[in-house]
Amino acid sequence: PVSSRQAFPLPSLPRKQPTVLVVCGPAQNGAIGLVCARHLRIFDYEPTIFYPKRSPDPLYRDFTTQCEKMDIPFLSYLPTEVQLINDAYNAVVDAVLGAEVEAGEGREPCAAILATLKHVRIPIVSLDVPSGWDVEAGSSGGISPDVLVSLSAPKQCARRFLGRQHFVAGRYLPYDVQKKFELNPPKYPGTECVVAL
Amino acid sequence: QEEAQAIDQELFTDYKFSVDQLMELAGLSCATAIAKAYPPSSFTTSRPAVLVVCGPGNNGGDGLVCARHLKMFGYEPTVYYPKRPNKPLFEGLTTQCQKMDIPFLAEFPAEAALIDELYGLVVDAVFGFSFKGAVREPFGSILSTLERITVPIASIDIPSGWDVEKGKADGLQPDMLISLTAPKKAAMHFAGRYHFLGGRFVPAALQEKYALNLPPYPETDCVLQLT
Repeated sequence: PVSSRQAFPLPSLPRKQPTVLVVCGPAQNGAIGLVCARHLRIFDYEPTIFYPKRSPDPLYRDFTTQCEKMDIPFLSYLPTEVQLINDAYNAVVDAVLGAEVEAGEGREPCAAILATLKHVRIPIVSLDVPSGWDVEAGSSGGISPDVLVSLSAPKQCARRFLGRQHFVAGRYLPYDVQKKFELNPPKYPGTECVVAL
Repeated sequence: QEEAQAIDQELFTDYKFSVDQLMELAGLSCATAIAKAYPPSSFTTSRPAVLVVCGPGNNGGDGLVCARHLKMFGYEPTVYYPKRPNKPLFEGLTTQCQKMDIPFLAEFPAEAALIDELYGLVVDAVFGFSFKGAVREPFGSILSTLERITVPIASIDIPSGWDVEKGKADGLQPDMLISLTAPKKAAMHFAGRYHFLGGRFVPAALQEKYALNLPPYPETDCVLQLT
């Protein structure tokens, strides 16, 4: 959430209302999107969530309740007409699929959403892995996010990222985990929880 | 005190926040406020050593989270945690600190002078806003010692030992107070240099309902300096 804000500071948004569409998938990446939406609301953005397949996990259900109680609207369907999305929102947060998805399998139900997102003209901020990309090889013909926020550490497919800004949010990793996986993270400035690469 | 408890109740019951979630955000606010007021470079001790004294309840939990983030911000925290609740939340937080090589003292330093020598700052995470009644040992002696140290004390939410509404004229005099969610009545008696607001998770609807009248936080910061 902080990194979305850094990429698009409020005063710079083109639309009058600081609207952001947060598209959440059925698993952990989607849940992170819910938390992101809540913080965006606290930061005075106007997020709207599209969360078609809700996880039964009690933790994620609570995240949903928190968003609902904070008056964050949940869309009942995603417009297939891309122009509607371009007109209504300043940016889209892609929290559909993360690194946990096996190639092929889990991606099918989200295929329609991804097909629509591929054609939006407003900037996309992808959480961890641009949805639909192979976690290692990247993607040809998939969505092209403007901003990528790598969680913990960049995934291999991040090498194919061609957008404007790449942030890492992984300051919570203990040193021994960093060393064990040879992560060599960059230095985080001050008390910031994200750093631009 | 009742209002603070009512807000917490709503956050947990209606909004379905978990204690873990809010405690993490609270602890992070505390560490962030400390980093702003007492940057590592400002310490007169050779290392930025901080003593975090954790009480038996949620305030202590906030202290554990704070200690962990202080470590990530480049400080060298040491924790004193004599009474640990038998709950997974606190056991988890303790483990996280231990796995990050944050030492846990077996004994509280016997003399105020020893604390002054070893540490540049003490974080008071002993008692919070739910505190009522008499102070039980070992915390009575701990607070007595803390009242005699000269290094600054940063108190989380309420200076420990203070009456939650009326304060305590002869009690702890912290240099910093980090009020969580909203300042409590006792904050009116706070005479230290730094008063920060933390816990940036209260939804607008709740702020209105309880007429909190909180000033706006800057940008995406999780703390706001009030004085």
